[in-house]
Amino acid sequence: MSLEENLKKYRISEKEYGLICDQLSREPKGIEWALYSALWSEHCSYKSSKYHLKKLFSKSERVLQSFGENAGVIDLGQGERVAFKMESHNHPSFIEPYEGAATGVGGILRDIFTMGARPVALANYLCFGEPDAERMPTLVKGVVSGISGYGNCVGVPNISGQTEFHSSYNGNILVNAFALGLFRPGEKVFTSQAEGEGNLVVYVGAKTGRDGVHGASMASESFDDDNEAKKPNVQIGDPFFEKLLIESCIEVMEKGLVVAIQDMGAAGLTSSSFEMSSNGGVGFDISLDKVPLRDSRMTPEEILLSESQERMLLICEPKNLQAIKDVFSRWNLDATSIGTVTKEKRIRLSWNNEELCNIDPDNLVDNAPMYGPEDRPFNEWFPTHRVGSRDKLLTDVNNFELMLIKCLTDVRGCNRNWIFDQYDQRVGAQTISDCSNDVGVIRLPDSERALSVVLGCRPYVMRLDSAEGGKDSIAYPSVELASLGFEPLAVTDCLNFGNPEKKELMTEFVASVQGMSKQCEALKAPIISGNVSLYNETIEKNVTSTPSTGVVGLRDSVYGPSNKVKNENEVVLMLSMEQLKMSGQFAEISKQPMKACGEINANATASFIKDLRTFVLDNKVSTSKVVGKFGLAYTLARMCMNGVGMTIDTTNSSELLASTTEKYFAESLYQVVVCLPEGDYKKMNTENYSNLEIVKLGTTGGSKLKIDSNINMDVAKIIESYNSWGEHFETLA
Amino acid sequence: MKKVGVVRFLGTNCDRDIWQACEAKGYSPEWLWYEDGFDVSSYEAVIIPGGFSYGDYLRCGAMAAKSPVMKSVVEFAGAGKPVLGICNGFQILCEVGLLPGALVKNTSGMFVDKWTELKTENPCQFWGKSVANSRLPIAHGEGRYHIEPEQLEKIKSSGQVWLTYKDNPNGSVADIAGVLNENKNVAGLMPHPERAMFDWMGGDDGFSFF
Repeated sequence: MSLEENLKKYRISEKEYGLICDQLSREPKGIEWALYSALWSEHCSYKSSKYHLKKLFSKSERVLQSFGENAGVIDLGQGERVAFKMESHNHPSFIEPYEGAATGVGGILRDIFTMGARPVALANYLCFGEPDAERMPTLVKGVVSGISGYGNCVGVPNISGQTEFHSSYNGNILVNAFALGLFRPGEKVFTSQAEGEGNLVVYVGAKTGRDGVHGASMASESFDDDNEAKKPNVQIGDPFFEKLLIESCIEVMEKGLVVAIQDMGAAGLTSSSFEMSSNGGVGFDISLDKVPLRDSRMTPEEILLSESQERMLLICEPKNLQAIKDVFSRWNLDATSIGTVTKEKRIRLSWNNEELCNIDPDNLVDNAPMYGPEDRPFNEWFPTHRVGSRDKLLTDVNNFELMLIKCLTDVRGCNRNWIFDQYDQRVGAQTISDCSNDVGVIRLPDSERALSVVLGCRPYVMRLDSAEGGKDSIAYPSVELASLGFEPLAVTDCLNFGNPEKKELMTEFVASVQGMSKQCEALKAPIISGNVSLYNETIEKNVTSTPSTGVVGLRDSVYGPSNKVKNENEVVLMLSMEQLKMSGQFAEISKQPMKACGEINANATASFIKDLRTFVLDNKVSTSKVVGKFGLAYTLARMCMNGVGMTIDTTNSSELLASTTEKYFAESLYQVVVCLPEGDYKKMNTENYSNLEIVKLGTTGGSKLKIDSNINMDVAKIIESYNSWGEHFETLA
Repeated sequence: MKKVGVVRFLGTNCDRDIWQACEAKGYSPEWLWYEDGFDVSSYEAVIIPGGFSYGDYLRCGAMAAKSPVMKSVVEFAGAGKPVLGICNGFQILCEVGLLPGALVKNTSGMFVDKWTELKTENPCQFWGKSVANSRLPIAHGEGRYHIEPEQLEKIKSSGQVWLTYKDNPNGSVADIAGVLNENKNVAGLMPHPERAMFDWMGGDDGFSFF
């Protein structure tokens, strides 16, 4: 093959080819092409993003493991620790929705139990196109049943989710899976650092097949018209196999038989072996002919690049191999020694005793290219869509009830229980709060405290302004946590962006990542794990830049406020700190321009979050909900879903939002509505919450939602409007 | 302390949940591995938890029904001792012939997870004896109870219909959520009482079932 053909086949640029020749002091040969292709792909190397990711706020005294391992780990105190991470499976899910989404769940679970933690919670962040876009009902159905089919079978509850719809995702949906695992007191955290000369490299789990070969480099490209041709690159998953793998891996780890362990994810055996060797500073001698195969005709290159699912690589002392084999065999799985750990940091791959390559793993891992501002240029961020503080954000509407119904029935505002009801949300018997609430909560079985998971990133805020949207991706979910009494502890992210080689796109990337980091630092909630998915574009059209997040919080008590009004005759309050006001999601559904005024101050927001949490814990807050998309009226309507109504007077609320239309439908960051008993309201000492503006809005009770003299609706009508999924997806209802 | 055997197949995933429920009731749970038989005199009750035994391959519960541990369960049931099957455990008990009928795909064709209201038609002396009405969560893709009409009449007249749904979530014949064998010592239900043990779970009606 000519040099040109090789560069094209292995998706290596001429510049990178030059770097490879410099590293090796010669041209790459044979299998090396495939190794460089996989490990230097955007998906494995993070070459366009690493320069910026290194600057993320990632430290706190709670952090036990951070970037560089399969998942981040934080200390919860009392001997309990959790590992968590979020990962994208956008490209495979668009091509083959069921398998793409299912294997996304499988992959993120392996990242968790490879650390030694038992997976105890899943969550999903999904962005779809417009309901009438080509293939969209099929994609929605496939993705949801893929997540359901896999997660339910492995027995890990799905406790939270966020689903967005927008035309920018018509040709490139986003499927981001979050998983969290628990280390109970005394359980050890494992890493991927191989060590011990003479130790064995053991392959466990499913046999290697041709599925997913070149998957990593596929995920590093944009879509074109020929997506059908990419179908063979999509992996096939088997949740039953994964369940056996979870149990057997946890058992060998508990029995102290394992030195290091890593799952075979993107770029399969290649990335797992090179990363384990590079991280541990040792070498591997691997006989590829010993790898268990589904098809004996597979070539060494296919074996190295296969992304067959449900496989792990572990390192053990030779004396423990038999004990490991015994455990795996009890779970009907095989464990095969395919090589040894060597002292010199070299990876030697052989095929029937013939050496195929002998290379320094750092060349492919640590010394992979990193593109800074010269290679991936970007501009400084300037606020977008800004108007003056006296300018109107929304044009006045005259029928407020009709507009509220429009919000509740819009696909962006309607009930998503068609999705959630397909997920097992309670397996594990620790679920406190499921997907029907804003925050997923599970109980920690040893300390009997509550651990929460909430997803973040509001794409319409990103469309307004990337810097503010980045801050909001951390701040909004943290406000949601604090409104229920949780302390936000740490964050994982999944940065879904378009083509980083385009300057305007890279500018959005940098602005939002900086915004996120700033907000994390102010909250002292570090980003401990994550994933970057670039080239989310189809035929030159980029998706909305979407830095989705998963924020984990902790509360001492398993009891806390609900999002829906429970009790009659309680006082309704608005707790706020208004910084940025915007036309928001309502502008998008009413075809008005995006407008905003002000900005989010990260430190002020952190103080607001701190006082909000204290307020909720100090006072007997029974119900609380953050004012989010579509503004106050929609938020109040959502609070009535238990059937209990409210009577609200907004005369004293929100000086920033001037007109009635704005008060009801524009958004002001950040506002929280809480309900508490009259007696507690009277005892409340407002001086303790200097960062909260506290305004009385009204009282709970009755079967109607009354707002001023403008809205007077039966709660039953509100619930009916909200349950309108079937109007958008007739074939799915 | 009451010794309860908890059966584990490859793919069982509610095993630790049942363990937690047993401990909450002060029982002494012990694992029963699918490849091994057990001494029927060693246990006072046996529970088959939910999950996806064998990944639901072939037909849910079909493979598990053929495993060595089920021989002992059949013997245990034959001795008149209490056996409870929940969700996949219920499917397995039907497959092995200890309970009448079968469980097939929900009418919607989809997995469904939700809270359901239940009515006790005929109390079971061993599990939830004094519960008249209860609220328990379900989570299954194949939970539609099916039985031939003449068989249905038979189980109705012999008091074998244990629990019915108030708002049928899956298309089950006669709203059936749980049944008993003729001898009333073997019970199976689709809802998960172990997921409704304490108020923080969203309801504690399941506590009385164990």
